[in-house]
Amino acid sequence: MSDFYFGGDVFSELDRMQRQVSSLFGNLPSSIRSSRADAFPRLNIGSTDDAIHIVAFAPGVEPASLDVTVDKGTLTISGERKAQATVEGARTYAKERFNGSFRRVIELPQNADADKVEARYENGTLSITIGKREASKPRAITIQ
Amino acid sequence: MTDNTQVAPQGTNEVARKNEDAVRRATVTPAVDIVEDSHGITLWADLPGVSREKLDVKVHDARLTIEAEAELPVQGAVRVHHAELRAPRFARAFTVSDDFDTTKIDANLTNGVLRLTIPRREEARPRRVEVRAG
Repeated sequence: MSDFYFGGDVFSELDRMQRQVSSLFGNLPSSIRSSRADAFPRLNIGSTDDAIHIVAFAPGVEPASLDVTVDKGTLTISGERKAQATVEGARTYAKERFNGSFRRVIELPQNADADKVEARYENGTLSITIGKREASKPRAITIQ
Repeated sequence: MTDNTQVAPQGTNEVARKNEDAVRRATVTPAVDIVEDSHGITLWADLPGVSREKLDVKVHDARLTIEAEAELPVQGAVRVHHAELRAPRFARAFTVSDDFDTTKIDANLTNGVLRLTIPRREEARPRRVEVRAG
């Protein structure tokens, strides 16, 4: 199986190459403010008028080993992804997938309601919904 | 309107083809593990958010392509603040050696991880040659 592939998507291939090169240098962040490029799980954060939505892309994690906690305005996602058992005499050609324990912390905004947190794990994605406090929701003001 | 009104042919011009390419371009290369043993080759690919219906594994002329689309559970108007995975589409292709039997690929998708096993062809398996005395 060849690893070389230049069909279709040049940008995502460059992205992958950058990941491979940075892993040679120990995956150090490029600056003090930036996060590691290969952080696991990858997070997408968005919000609507009623809630904050966080999606953690954590494929291949046992739902029982996932731990989501909210404490003092921070949300912590932690867990462990186990490595595949290796067979004697097997040759490894690519090892890009993360394994081991992980932990990611997100600072929540002031208006997040810690009592209204829901988490769901489905198809390898963990989606967390955090409600916003009533007072912080946008209101239309009637003009008299 | 007269009888010789012509209908312009659609979808065959340069512009339409370019649009198709642009749609294909916004993809993420999934991380993979590839391990070979005496039985064949095993590939694991991280495809978070992908259901079985949205996964497409194809083999054509010794070329194995994996294409998938993630479904995100968030509905409605969401303002994105931070995105580490921008495009919810995954694509990656590999060239498979002739030693492997691509007609017997086994694919399994659990918790967003695709596991593909491609067995070695019978004649390509490592064999032990008996040495006769005499």
